[in-house]
Amino acid sequence: MQREVGTLPLAPALRARLAAAGFQTAQELLDTGPCGLSKEIGISREEALEALQVVRQECQGDAARTAGGSGATRKCTALELLEEEQTQGFIITFCSALDNILGGGVQLTKITEICGAPGVGKTQLCMQLAVDVQIPECFGGVAGEAVFIDTEGSFMVDRVVDIAAACVQHCHLIAEAQQEEDLRKALETFSLENILSHIYYFRCRDYTELLAQVYLLPEFLSEHSKVRLVVIDGIAFPFRHDFEDLSLRTRLLNGLAQQLIIIANDHKSAVVLTNQMTTRIGQSQSTLVPALGESWGHAATVRLILHWDNSQRLATLYKSPSQKESTIAYHITSHGFRDVQPPAVTHSTEGTELNPRKRPRTEEGKQ
Amino acid sequence: MAAKKLRRAQLSQEMCERLSRYQITTCQDFLCLSFLELMKVTGQSYYEVQKLLCKVSQACAPKMQTAYEMKLRKSVNPSSAFLSTTLHSLDRVLHGGVPCGSLTEITSPPGCGKTQFCIMLSVLATLPVSMGGLDGAVIYIDTESAFSAERLIEIAANRFPTYFDSDEKLLCMTRSIHLYRELTCCCVLKRIMSLEEEIISKRVKLIIIDSVASVVRKEFDTKLQGNLAERSNFLTRGASVLKYLAEEFSIPV
Repeated sequence: MQREVGTLPLAPALRARLAAAGFQTAQELLDTGPCGLSKEIGISREEALEALQVVRQECQGDAARTAGGSGATRKCTALELLEEEQTQGFIITFCSALDNILGGGVQLTKITEICGAPGVGKTQLCMQLAVDVQIPECFGGVAGEAVFIDTEGSFMVDRVVDIAAACVQHCHLIAEAQQEEDLRKALETFSLENILSHIYYFRCRDYTELLAQVYLLPEFLSEHSKVRLVVIDGIAFPFRHDFEDLSLRTRLLNGLAQQLIIIANDHKSAVVLTNQMTTRIGQSQSTLVPALGESWGHAATVRLILHWDNSQRLATLYKSPSQKESTIAYHITSHGFRDVQPPAVTHSTEGTELNPRKRPRTEEGKQ
Repeated sequence: MAAKKLRRAQLSQEMCERLSRYQITTCQDFLCLSFLELMKVTGQSYYEVQKLLCKVSQACAPKMQTAYEMKLRKSVNPSSAFLSTTLHSLDRVLHGGVPCGSLTEITSPPGCGKTQFCIMLSVLATLPVSMGGLDGAVIYIDTESAFSAERLIEIAANRFPTYFDSDEKLLCMTRSIHLYRELTCCCVLKRIMSLEEEIISKRVKLIIIDSVASVVRKEFDTKLQGNLAERSNFLTRGASVLKYLAEEFSIPV
């Protein structure tokens, strides 16, 4: 109630007039009433009423916050957070080594950034995640939908069809091996058409469309509340050319990062971004570093760098609050993202020869 | 989309006039400002600015489509998804041929046959659909002056002797291949920008640029400071326009 007039979200002209008339706290405004207000500062009664309603709303919000209210507040104890984190699901990547170093998979409510040179597999991983997020809960997935925002145009529907078909087959094998009723029921809804219809695709051609789309995302996500993954493929591409004003670029990127953090938290979804690599020319050598500069590095919570080592693709966990830095190798097969070799300890349910995870070895040999 | 005027974003007339006083006329200018600046410029309260932001965003945001719709659209016309190169092993590896709707890059050391490959693709594109072509015109942007029309006729006559049995057919084919000789980066970019209208008027089904690297390397010396940024600027701008053309008209580039 003692809130200063200058901090209220009113129009600047109105605030200037209130200050000129000598109003200092919100309480004063509420005491004056709409008619008195309109006479003192020379605005119409309707405008005064609107202003007072805004003030009242703000003060109520303040009171709720100071009383430790629910919902809109972001305050809770670490114990509650721990319980939440333990029950939270992960989006698996079908490459168990990668899941291990990530601590189970791509985490919900966090921003994960995937950087890499062209052709190393960033878009493949994004497409794999967009399919994996839809795995039903009884198979260990999060049963969510995916939003795919594409700025580079590298989304190939045929490839997603291949990946989705392999995923469905994998789940079929598990269901057959385990012979449980609820698994089979879940499989009825987990079909190719369903998977494809739950990937919402947006093609943004420049950074204005990207900004507009991110502004509209919260509304879209409240309509489609089952979305658990937002992928922005190529966040660097629209910002790397045609930008003379670098400070504007930094500001826009920071604003974007803030909005994405809010979206990730409010809607309990994972946000995955892909970034390009740029060459930093040092005194004696040049190194490949993620693009968009140092300040962008603070935006993502988890950073994964994909790179080549001769002909082997490697993934390095570069930044993570809970896992240590490590590097693993992976393959991209016709079924999608896979381990280099099948994991040493396979689940008893996947023991059949038709296991798609084991297929990559023979296919690699053929190639 | 970015240059869309605010007038067309369904903002009120007075709001547009007020914003134009601050030189904010397009959606791009509007969305680049922070909340506080927007409040100062529009003179509205926080919640009003949020609503305005939503309206402007809706005017420029892309349309949503599900992956399923995209797949259905592609499967409606499967033959037009690829331009077969008639090299069977290459087609198998490429999953059908040169894909329509995206950029394909061909690189190699000099003398391997890039220009020959491009000439052959041009011939293939002019063939009717029944023979695996695209039945359309070809735009060939040549920066090295390596295109030889005689070689074009030689390839056509020897490869498809039954189809090109008369001179008439050969002439028809050559008429539908439009050659542009551009020797500087500036000209190449201008040509790319002007392609949209030509594609529609001449029913173009294939765009070939031979080659991007030669003209870029001629003009930009990477040892000089500042040139690197300009060069990548030019390349990304050209690339985004070409991507847009490829996707919009579903043609291979």
